[in-house]
Amino acid sequence: MRTEHIKYDLMDYITNRLNAQERKRVEEHLQKCPKCNNQYAELSATDKVLKQNHSTAPTPVYYSTILPRVRERLIFHKRSIWDYSYGPVKFIIPIAVSILLMFFLIRIPTESSFEAAQTEALHQAVKDLDEEEIVQAVEKEYAGLSLSPNQEVAAAGVAEHLQGDRFLKSAISKQIDNEEVADMDVEGMISDLDKEQVDQVLSGLSERNTL
Amino acid sequence: MTDSSDLELVELFQNGNETAFNELVGRYQEKIYWIARRFVNDHDQADDIVQEVFIKVYSALKNFRGDSGVYTWLYRITVNVALNALRKQRIRDFIRIDEFFETAEDENEQPDAIFEKDEQQKLIEEAIAKLPEKQKAIFILRYHEELSYEEISLILKTSIGGLKANYFHAVKKIGEYVNRAHRTH
Repeated sequence: MRTEHIKYDLMDYITNRLNAQERKRVEEHLQKCPKCNNQYAELSATDKVLKQNHSTAPTPVYYSTILPRVRERLIFHKRSIWDYSYGPVKFIIPIAVSILLMFFLIRIPTESSFEAAQTEALHQAVKDLDEEEIVQAVEKEYAGLSLSPNQEVAAAGVAEHLQGDRFLKSAISKQIDNEEVADMDVEGMISDLDKEQVDQVLSGLSERNTL
Repeated sequence: MTDSSDLELVELFQNGNETAFNELVGRYQEKIYWIARRFVNDHDQADDIVQEVFIKVYSALKNFRGDSGVYTWLYRITVNVALNALRKQRIRDFIRIDEFFETAEDENEQPDAIFEKDEQQKLIEEAIAKLPEKQKAIFILRYHEELSYEEISLILKTSIGGLKANYFHAVKKIGEYVNRAHRTH
């Protein structure tokens, strides 16, 4: 019998976990193998030390607390199981809400301040510039000619600050071409404007008989 | 219900009987506690492991098909949770925040958690703690829990020959550690 074969059985021999046949086999080997006898002595000593090791047991009351605490945690676990089951949703919903909030937070003040600027610019464009100036500015812009400062204001006021620039440009260019501005065409063009802007544009322009 | 076999309890639970889970907890809580305790040598940590094991068991019971015995399955979960706890402990030790917590815990230690440790016991615990994960698991399951090699083989998914060799080396290392410590003191 090879030494390796019984040295791995020695602890089970020492702790009495071998059957009769296995015990006999180990004992026979120990009688003729000094090396295994040394291993046996060493392991026996360790076993004696290990047997002295007695960790203090918790009180019996402790075991009665396990189930209620497990149940309590399971209730909490069940409440949050939705989060575990729908992991992506858990992330998507807050992200979507954050994006929407950011959108509104950024958009609302910007829009209101933009609206105010737009209204102001619209008033200026309509009140301060006469029809002639606007027509010239737009004509030159289309023609790629350089504009006078006043005309630049007119063109910029019309083209950049006003969402109604398309309406104005179109209305003006059609007027230049002596075309009649059809109601439907105007409706389509003013669809981009909000009611207040439309009212302002229409009232401003009608005051000056541009339409 | 107390007369029901483990497998019958599992089937009852799978059919909606929640009390069957309570019975399983009552049946295995002490065993699981001691396996955990021998892994971590600490009552509070062992308690955490016990809780985590039963929460995992509750979630997994619905899918338990009885391919292995219920207790083999429970022990496997326990060993895995305990080994994970040890790995986390090693990380905490590595970043050295445990010193703070040890001080705090000592001050607030409850009578239930106080376990007197003499020098010899500390040495053995240190020796076991220093064993590689697999040898530690084998030693605990064979020496303390007295499971057969066949059962341990199912739990740890290791050959019986490998288990015997590891068990031998585990005990040898513990002996050598204790002897070396005695010689140096």
